[in-house]
Amino acid sequence: MTCALVGVGRTAYSRNSGRTTLAMATEACRAALDDAGLGADAVDGMVTYHANDSAGPLEVSWALGCDELSWSHAALGGGNIVAECVATAAAVIEAGLCRAVLVYRSLNGRSGHRFGTVSGPMAVEHELQYCAPHGFLVPPQWIAMWASRHQAEYGSTCEDLGRIAITQRAHAAANPHAIAREPLTMEQYLAGRWVNEPFRVYDCAFEVDGAVAVLVVGDDQAADAAKPPVWLVGSAGSQSGAGWLQWDDMTCMYSRHVAPRLWERTGLGPADMDVALMYDCFTYTVMATMEDYGFCGKGEVGDFFASGRATYGGDIVVNPHGGLLSEGYLHGLNHHVEAVVQLRGDAGARQVDGARRALVTAGAGPYGGANVLSIERP
Amino acid sequence: MTDTPTAASADVPPQPVPDPDSAGYWDALAGGALALCRCATCRTWMQPPLERCRRCGGATAFEPVSGAGAVHSFIVMHRASVPGQGPGPHVIAIVDLDDAPGARLSGRVAGAGPGDVTVGDRVEMRVTPVAGGPFHQPEFALVRA
Repeated sequence: MTCALVGVGRTAYSRNSGRTTLAMATEACRAALDDAGLGADAVDGMVTYHANDSAGPLEVSWALGCDELSWSHAALGGGNIVAECVATAAAVIEAGLCRAVLVYRSLNGRSGHRFGTVSGPMAVEHELQYCAPHGFLVPPQWIAMWASRHQAEYGSTCEDLGRIAITQRAHAAANPHAIAREPLTMEQYLAGRWVNEPFRVYDCAFEVDGAVAVLVVGDDQAADAAKPPVWLVGSAGSQSGAGWLQWDDMTCMYSRHVAPRLWERTGLGPADMDVALMYDCFTYTVMATMEDYGFCGKGEVGDFFASGRATYGGDIVVNPHGGLLSEGYLHGLNHHVEAVVQLRGDAGARQVDGARRALVTAGAGPYGGANVLSIERP
Repeated sequence: MTDTPTAASADVPPQPVPDPDSAGYWDALAGGALALCRCATCRTWMQPPLERCRRCGGATAFEPVSGAGAVHSFIVMHRASVPGQGPGPHVIAIVDLDDAPGARLSGRVAGAGPGDVTVGDRVEMRVTPVAGGPFHQPEFALVRA
């Protein structure tokens, strides 16, 4: 059985929702069902992931009006397992355990706990106990550390990172859902306050409150959906326990393993993609993974963005919604939502002309995955 | 990670929670020395420490390490993302250790600020107390040529 994404939903993205993650998850899931033209009674599976706050599948399904589910899963993880959650939903359907699975993410990522900082007296267990006392404990430090190594090995610069942020911000200007739509210049980027050098504030995802949802069904139901199905062509993942210190080469990410698997499984390559939803918790994540997926060579990403190859009229449009940097940090599932909207041709002012296939990546550092989506049935 | 309140004031660094695998690491530091986990059979270094070797499954033990090495990468922490770090900016480095290839450590580069550190710089290690509790940790210092 081949599976498709037939419904997408979202709440507004904001700095302070004043709502529960349950309420937002329910709204996004209901919107995804409405988009597909299906009712809550069609849903028999749900999956989410929950590093940081969340809402569990059982409470969300109950709030949505499902009296019971055949299968549900709340995976412990973050952006690294987004592609895996969508692919797992398809696998569960293909295994015959479910007919329709909602994948969702809901978080008060700005007004609630923010990923980039910790506060108050704390005791740190397990693998972070060694780094916590000297304050090396949060993602904007870990990934800045990797970016710093890339700069030393390949001569990439802060301006190169800035061009990623600036391009994505320009894309967000045409996205009414984006939290940050005002243009960003190189002067503004370079004047941004340092977070962890080489990262300035504009290198970091824009944390927001909100929820998104995607409905996955098999081909038996896809034909009945209200809008054209967007097919899952192939998926690959790579999850390593090497962590942020012991990974051998910080100039590459998980994607050095995922890219060959994905391109082999799908029989496609970077040149076959029309739009790339690149996971962008930080600018450097885009840089390292663009290299790994084969869009350009080592150290060439800055020029790739500067010369217009990553935007409309170039080789491929990278993050037309603005990405996590400018649309908002919905923990990466908003990349699948944007891929579906683009491949349906429903993206309005930010529509990528003739978009047929999308690469959707998720994750950074030692762990992540990617899906290839297509408007054409594989 | 847990947000367990301690009796200490709010602006203290996060305190480690030793466990049976890590006790040897913290015990060595309490004695003023660095020791890392190593397989007694195949001699693989492991950081974080493990009860059994991840390569061969053999028994492990903590062996002394000088802490001298080279900067693999570094950041300049301008913003206090984590409590108890004092006024910045500070440099945090990940160090390739001369004596324990394959087992990197992170730590403050003492006294260093923006522009002071380059990838590849030689460093030496010293043991310093962690404020607000009984623990000690490694800290690095640039070796001036």
